[in-house]
Amino acid sequence: MSPSTHYDVILIGGGHNGLVAATYLAKAGRKVLVLEARSQLGGLAGVEEIFPGFHAPVGHADTGLLAPQVIKDLRLESHSLAFHDVPAAVFAPQPDGRALTLWRDPVRAQAEIARFSQKDAARYPDYLRVMARLAAVLAATAAEIPPDIITPSLKDLFPWARVALKARRLGRKDMMDFLRLLPMTAQEWLDEWFESPAVQATFGAPSVTGGMLGPQSSGSAYMLLYQQMGAPNAGYRSARFVQGGVGAVMAALARAAESHGVEILTDTPVARILIEDGRAAGVMLQDRDVLRAPVIVSNLDPRRTLFGLVGPQALNPRVMRRVRAIRFKGSTARLTLALSGLPRFKGAPDGHDHLAGYTLICPSLEYLERAYDDAKYGRISAHPAMELHFPTLHDADLAPAGQHLMSVTIRFTPYQLEGASWAKEGKRLTDLVIKTLDSHAPGFKSLVRHTHLRTPASLETDFAATEGGIMHGQMALDQWLMIRPVAGYAQYATQIPNLYLCGAGTHPGGGLTGLPGRNAARAILSHRG
Amino acid sequence: MSRQKYDSIVIGGGHNGLVNAAYLARRGLKTLVLEQRHVLGGAAVTEEIYPGFKFSVFSYVVSLLRPEIIRDLNLPKHGLTILPLESTLTPLPDGRYIYRDGDAGATYRNIQHFSRRDADTYKEYGHMMYFMAKAVKYVLGIVPPDPASLNPLELLELLKMARHFLSIGEEQFYTLVKLMTMSSAEFLQEWFETDPLIATLSASGIIGTFLGPRSPGTAYVLLHHYMGEIDGAFRAWGFAKGGTGAISEAIASAAREFGAEIRTEAPVAEVIHKNGRAVGVALQSGEELYARIVVSSLDPKLTFLKMIGESHLPSDLVEDIRAFNIRGSSGKVNLALDRLPELGVLKGAGPHMRGAISISPSVDYIERAYDAAKHGDIPKNPYIDIIFPSAIDPDMAPPGKHVMSCFVQYAPYHLREGNWEQRREEFGDNVVNTLAQHFPGIKKHILHRQVLTPWDIEQKIGITQGNIFQGELSLSQLFFLRPAAGWAKYRTPIKNYYQCGSGTHPGGGITGAPGRLAALEILKDLGK
Repeated sequence: MSPSTHYDVILIGGGHNGLVAATYLAKAGRKVLVLEARSQLGGLAGVEEIFPGFHAPVGHADTGLLAPQVIKDLRLESHSLAFHDVPAAVFAPQPDGRALTLWRDPVRAQAEIARFSQKDAARYPDYLRVMARLAAVLAATAAEIPPDIITPSLKDLFPWARVALKARRLGRKDMMDFLRLLPMTAQEWLDEWFESPAVQATFGAPSVTGGMLGPQSSGSAYMLLYQQMGAPNAGYRSARFVQGGVGAVMAALARAAESHGVEILTDTPVARILIEDGRAAGVMLQDRDVLRAPVIVSNLDPRRTLFGLVGPQALNPRVMRRVRAIRFKGSTARLTLALSGLPRFKGAPDGHDHLAGYTLICPSLEYLERAYDDAKYGRISAHPAMELHFPTLHDADLAPAGQHLMSVTIRFTPYQLEGASWAKEGKRLTDLVIKTLDSHAPGFKSLVRHTHLRTPASLETDFAATEGGIMHGQMALDQWLMIRPVAGYAQYATQIPNLYLCGAGTHPGGGLTGLPGRNAARAILSHRG
Repeated sequence: MSRQKYDSIVIGGGHNGLVNAAYLARRGLKTLVLEQRHVLGGAAVTEEIYPGFKFSVFSYVVSLLRPEIIRDLNLPKHGLTILPLESTLTPLPDGRYIYRDGDAGATYRNIQHFSRRDADTYKEYGHMMYFMAKAVKYVLGIVPPDPASLNPLELLELLKMARHFLSIGEEQFYTLVKLMTMSSAEFLQEWFETDPLIATLSASGIIGTFLGPRSPGTAYVLLHHYMGEIDGAFRAWGFAKGGTGAISEAIASAAREFGAEIRTEAPVAEVIHKNGRAVGVALQSGEELYARIVVSSLDPKLTFLKMIGESHLPSDLVEDIRAFNIRGSSGKVNLALDRLPELGVLKGAGPHMRGAISISPSVDYIERAYDAAKHGDIPKNPYIDIIFPSAIDPDMAPPGKHVMSCFVQYAPYHLREGNWEQRREEFGDNVVNTLAQHFPGIKKHILHRQVLTPWDIEQKIGITQGNIFQGELSLSQLFFLRPAAGWAKYRTPIKNYYQCGSGTHPGGGITGAPGRLAALEILKDLGK
């Protein structure tokens, strides 16, 4: 790269939202440079080699949340992204030796539910219908730039009038349900629908994704609905995967970016954002090289960006207070295991179809709530709630022939442990997870070849995510919409002129949607003409 | 109709029923109030449970009663006297205590021992909450508009409200959003660093709810409890002379003066309705009484499901009312003592004994009590809010003796093991044991003890699950969603049948606001 090269935009962080934003900006004719600190693109949505020959996703596994607008606008399918729907959304072994599988085929799923409760099975089609309708309204909110509520302009409000109209078209009952559901708890919402603890837990488990809120906490119903944006016909989270795994998504995004002339530099960590006359003017790399551009966009979380790369002294006290008050609350650990074969769970049907989606260790909402109880006081859950996924079932090349990878997402693993450190507790958590899985799949222990644990602490160190919060700020109602990332700055611009945010810390939040990146690019383009 | 003896019949002689009746009678409606118990007041009663010892059996302090009601009904003339309850003392296990009272200087000096920064912030925090409560008070005085309505008048109401809240200033608006959505502990953590101070302040956010201090939504309840004012002094708490029942008696006396008739020991079995129109009530005794309109001050489950019956209501409403969250979460232990007990952390019978004493030493302490209860267990060490009514009003106990009112949270209505008849005394023992940790030697001064679990509250005064707010004050059950979408304007699908209890907007606490707002709507319908 020659220092004389002129860029319109420098974008910090090559995660999925960064690549999406860069591509939209480049499509609109901007010359964009993306700087990624790691050697691989993708950030939390990337893939890493955890042992020689084993390539596992860092975070996301499914692609159901990826917004249709993004797929279409960036023509990802022409960049060889092939989606496929797996036969099972979730397989949930129960302590009594039975198992509940939500097949993507609703008739088959209904028959499964009927084994637990006839009444619940009868309500299932209605539940899917209502959730799909409500999730469509939420999806409409997710695709818009939040309005500036204090000094609203018609330009701001116009798209929201369309969203409001969409909500009104639901009819009185569903519209009121939408308003009512947002602040509810997942427990309350599911109590209205289902009676079987296994059924409730299987539908309810996604309500605690990425947050330190239990299913009895207000706002968990909102997260449940958020996860439904990508799961129109199963009722769990998405059952949509990509040929080649999540790494293929990153590759397609990078190809799309490059096809529009975006330059991408990996292994290029940024030390700080240069502020001149109170405006962002460029970046200084860790090797002290300086790159300048009239627009700087950060895909890092808001606190990391404003405190880490800019420095709090550049912010006014009010904004500083708001940024400091963002709650990140890392709550997720990821244990990746190299296995010599696929486990055999009690109550599992024949074959491997049931393992193609997620496997859920969460037999009741009470189990989930108790897992949260421990975390509230800084402890590892005595009975961990877990979501498992087998990346090698989607791309056999991720592991040596005949071997498998298993990703275990462990809920409610606090960033700060009370009177202990992750350095010590990590081993205990790994053992606990293996022991718990062994009780559901006898003989599991003997399949384990290697283990690799990512705690909230290591997510912070390796992926620059404050407190290991994978959502870049907990997704709760007080950090939603026009108060995400902070009050007064929900339109992707920051208090520093020329500096913008485009990561999960902005509206609509975390998950592999690409929407923060898309919304940010639109905001920048409309802001700067 | 010749057999129609009354213009209006109000079911339930709690404070909201009485306020409603008083406002109706004031406009000349021939009004009858029917109360099932021998005393008026519902949860706002004073009873002499043991000879000479008068207990405010359930509700025990007052602050939220709307000033316009006090004025309109001229309650002081009817005997209402509010005595100030100025201080709150929070004893801590390490021998220290947090003391807050009306004297800003004393409060500052005490908090300063914990944190200079918190002492400085405390005043600012008070101003902020005062401002926020004043801004929100606006909604206590309006009937919730319906956002699903296509009526331009309704939309205008919504717009007016939006304009009101946007006009309070940017910083304040965002603070309000936080108050509506956050947990009380996290909201307070943005202000303070001293955990016991955060804990004892956050206690106002959990009272009456089945939520912990870390549950989102509790910051609103915190604000709800700040909306009171006594004689123009915002956020002041008081104790009604003669106990909480004196408030009900004063309202009843005002209602009678306006011509209302009040019958006690007259439990209503159901509302009589014909062709979708209420015409009267049937008492449990078999007696039938007819009126032009019928008003229920009972909780939503009773108002709809029991008084009318599911088969006569639209299925949407039945579903919503069935799902209405009205979990019992609190209990009460009333003690008769042979003397005023002494606190371990602050000896003597100083002014602190005429205020509240709050057992809320840390956020974790309250949260753990919540954890136990949410899984159906009785917490060993609950949150307790204590007052000594006899130290404020000597008439409450025989000379030299005292009554001690302990509001206890949490007590789950549904127990995981056993039932409340079997385990009531275990609950009482846990409370007394917890008290003994802070009042050494108190056990030997207890002459009598009355233990009320949520189940007992339901048995005695009828509120479903003994929930003191007639339904959780959660965001999904407030304003135009209280008690159910489309039915927040005090009317019901049964013509001439209205609701006026705490299960309607703006919710629980001795505010009288639901009773008054319902009366104004009824009078509007009647063209009065």
